[in-house]
Amino acid sequence: MLPLTAIVLLPLIGFLVNGLAGRRLGHRFVSIIGCGLPLLAFAVAVHCCLDLTASLGAARVENLYTWADVDGHQFAIGFWFDRLSAVMTLIVTGVGSAIHVYSTGYMKDDPGYARYFAYLNLFLFFMLLLVLGRSLLVCFVGWEGVGLASYLLIGFWFEDPDKARAGKKAFITNRVGDAGFLLGMFLLYHGLGTLDLDHVQAVFAAGAPAALSGELIALLLFIGATGKSAQIPLHVWLPDAMAGPTPVSALIHAATMVTAGVYLIARLHGIYEHAPLTSELIAAIGLLTALIAATVAVVQTDIKKVLAWSTISQLGYMFLALGVGAYGAAVFHLYTHAFFKACLFLGAGSVIHALGGEQDIRRMGGLARRIPVTFATFAIATAAIAGLPPLAGFFSKDEILWYAFASERGAPLLWAVAAATAALSAFYMFRLLWLTFLTPSRMAAQTAEHVHESPPAMTGVLVLLAAFSVVAGFVALPQFLEPLLPVPAIHAALAGYQTPLLCASVALALAGLAAAVLVYGRGPARAERLAAHFPALHRLLSGGYYVDEFYALTVTRPILWLAARVFLRGGDQRLIDGTLNGLAALFQRAAGRLSRVQAGALQLYVLLAGLGIAACVAWALHDV
Amino acid sequence: MDSTQLLLALSIALFVLGLTGVIIRRNALVMLMCMELMVNAVVLSLVTFAARMASASGAVLALLIFVVAAAEIAIAIPIVLLLVRQRRTLDVGAYSSLKG
Amino acid sequence: MTQMPALYGFCAAALGGAVAMLIARHPMRVALALIATMLSLAGIYALLGVHVIAVFQVLIYVGAVMVFMVYVIMLLDIRDPSFLERYSRLLVPGVLLGALLAAGLGYALAHRYVAAPLYAARADFRVQPFSAEFLRTYWLHFELTSVLLIVAVVAAIAVIQGRGGRNG
Repeated sequence: MLPLTAIVLLPLIGFLVNGLAGRRLGHRFVSIIGCGLPLLAFAVAVHCCLDLTASLGAARVENLYTWADVDGHQFAIGFWFDRLSAVMTLIVTGVGSAIHVYSTGYMKDDPGYARYFAYLNLFLFFMLLLVLGRSLLVCFVGWEGVGLASYLLIGFWFEDPDKARAGKKAFITNRVGDAGFLLGMFLLYHGLGTLDLDHVQAVFAAGAPAALSGELIALLLFIGATGKSAQIPLHVWLPDAMAGPTPVSALIHAATMVTAGVYLIARLHGIYEHAPLTSELIAAIGLLTALIAATVAVVQTDIKKVLAWSTISQLGYMFLALGVGAYGAAVFHLYTHAFFKACLFLGAGSVIHALGGEQDIRRMGGLARRIPVTFATFAIATAAIAGLPPLAGFFSKDEILWYAFASERGAPLLWAVAAATAALSAFYMFRLLWLTFLTPSRMAAQTAEHVHESPPAMTGVLVLLAAFSVVAGFVALPQFLEPLLPVPAIHAALAGYQTPLLCASVALALAGLAAAVLVYGRGPARAERLAAHFPALHRLLSGGYYVDEFYALTVTRPILWLAARVFLRGGDQRLIDGTLNGLAALFQRAAGRLSRVQAGALQLYVLLAGLGIAACVAWALHDV
Repeated sequence: MDSTQLLLALSIALFVLGLTGVIIRRNALVMLMCMELMVNAVVLSLVTFAARMASASGAVLALLIFVVAAAEIAIAIPIVLLLVRQRRTLDVGAYSSLKG
Repeated sequence: MTQMPALYGFCAAALGGAVAMLIARHPMRVALALIATMLSLAGIYALLGVHVIAVFQVLIYVGAVMVFMVYVIMLLDIRDPSFLERYSRLLVPGVLLGALLAAGLGYALAHRYVAAPLYAARADFRVQPFSAEFLRTYWLHFELTSVLLIVAVVAAIAVIQGRGGRNG
């Protein structure tokens, strides 16, 4: 009985079956295999979770086999299930299965149906390797694998070169971060002699080992997390990743893959507890990312891009929590975010499906009556992300804000910026809701005719996720995780501020809502007049602060220049081709010269023979 | 210089002149005649030694060489005739069709 | 040898004929020069006492081979580039080669030659002893040359008629 292995392998089987035989076996078979296996994995995960609670949190270990044995260094493949793994696995398999079911409706007419489900199952396999891996090495395999799956799925409609380019961008940006991850892993192994997470945890629980450069390792691993979780400066791939199908955006770029960075740091919290400088950096970057992403989201006009920048912003919150030491709060926010963000993305998918492909919110409006289920679930999820009580987002966001204010590594300044960002989040999310559903219709005539509610496969999942967005907040996740992820210490002097801050959060969310209704209540016209007063600012925000252009100038162009001028022209063409062609030309010219001897010129032959005779005579006489 | 040496010198001279003639003359028939000159030079050398050593085989060999030379010319001339028929010229330079 | 002046004369004639062969423009003149050389050589053979060969030289070489040559030259009187332009492209290299070879062989003759009396006993090179020797000791060579001549005749016919037969 190896339940953990079963959880990991079930999606892999789905990938192999659908990938190899899916096209021939038809939609129904692909759907059953593609959704059934993840659901089965979810069931096994629930069973493992129940076992865990029954055994009061004792972790379960499964060692599969020794992967490599080099000079006495052993690397094994094994799985590890403790409280944190339980939470992550349930999210991954649960939300994952729901999105699989949703996809059966959304991707129904796509010719690459079997390929889609194969890739999606492949993603689940790698993600489960990531969260269940016992050794950091197995985790890294999963880390890379989800990057691969992300690339395959973002560029799913690869015939469009822009979409293919988006996939490439995601993969390459991830790889930059992975360099940091690898270096951190090397240093960790060099210092501790093991990469098994349980051993690492145990070592750091006892205090920072002196021989280890903890800050450096922490920094390098954080760089890896930055790439995967789209924090500044490696956030540029996530908005472009919206080129993929919407369920992919929901699963990979909202609920699971982008949270891998958060999971990594939470898992290795021991290192970060002894690395105060890096933790400060993490908090700062998380906060900055949250703020900047929120400002950009305010001016976005594509429904999916708004949600993408929103995801970046929410991830920034999670990193802020990690930076101030509130690891449990970060995971809690990860958990609630999975539900409402997935619901939002899938709702957006439903809208896009209803409008036959339209994604620009300036051309939407008036959809509340026409697609009521989608509207209702979208509204609930929006309220959740804005932090309105008693929905899930309120609880998790409030925990983060509290610890940002009061914990020993936090500061009131952090709280202030984070709260402002929360108000902005509420503002742009309600802006989205109003412009899409509640303002008068600005749809094109033929689009408006065909508006229809989505099939039950899609709306059912939306309802499920919306329901979770409501109730998930009541699960006391930080307390559940506390034996594993300790709650940070709080400044005693600030302890009394908890309730006032709570009220402030609610007030800010409502303020955001009010501002959104004020500006966008009747449509985008008023906002556009406002934007006309600040054209430069509007352009800066719309272009995402021109980070892409900056990278293109400083990184991409020099590398391409180097590749084209130095390596292609100099190395490949001149050196290698030149040598080969030169050799060939040399032989050709030599042959040309030599062939003149064989010109069929009789007298030349006689002359040469005569020369030979003269040479023989000379030789015969040489010792006279 | 005694007569043998003189005759051998003549033989060398005739041979060299014949070889040079083969190389430098353009007309095919003249080339053939220069080759005959070379054969004659050799026969002269042969006969000189035959006379000097009083050897009958030398003389016999000279006769056989005559016969062979005759047979050779009997073949060579028809070949030249065919070549002329094809190329319409006796210029040896025109006979080579290999691209050198 | 007693008839040294005659020998010198014949040598000069042979050499002159050979040089004339290289210089003359018309092939007929070249043929006549060659005939002159051959006749001088016949004279030399006779002076050496090898009368048989001298006669055969005149009969076979001059009488058959050169006559044939002359006939062919008369038939193929083509005024083509080889007439106007006597010398080939390899004039200079050819002359140089000739000089080189002559120098080498001449040097050998000058320094390696061992003088000895001309003949120990005067051999008999008249027809009778010669033919006796020829057909007794060298009968195989005789047969082989007959075969060779037949082959030559057949080849000549084949060369001419083969083409003609197919075309005509």
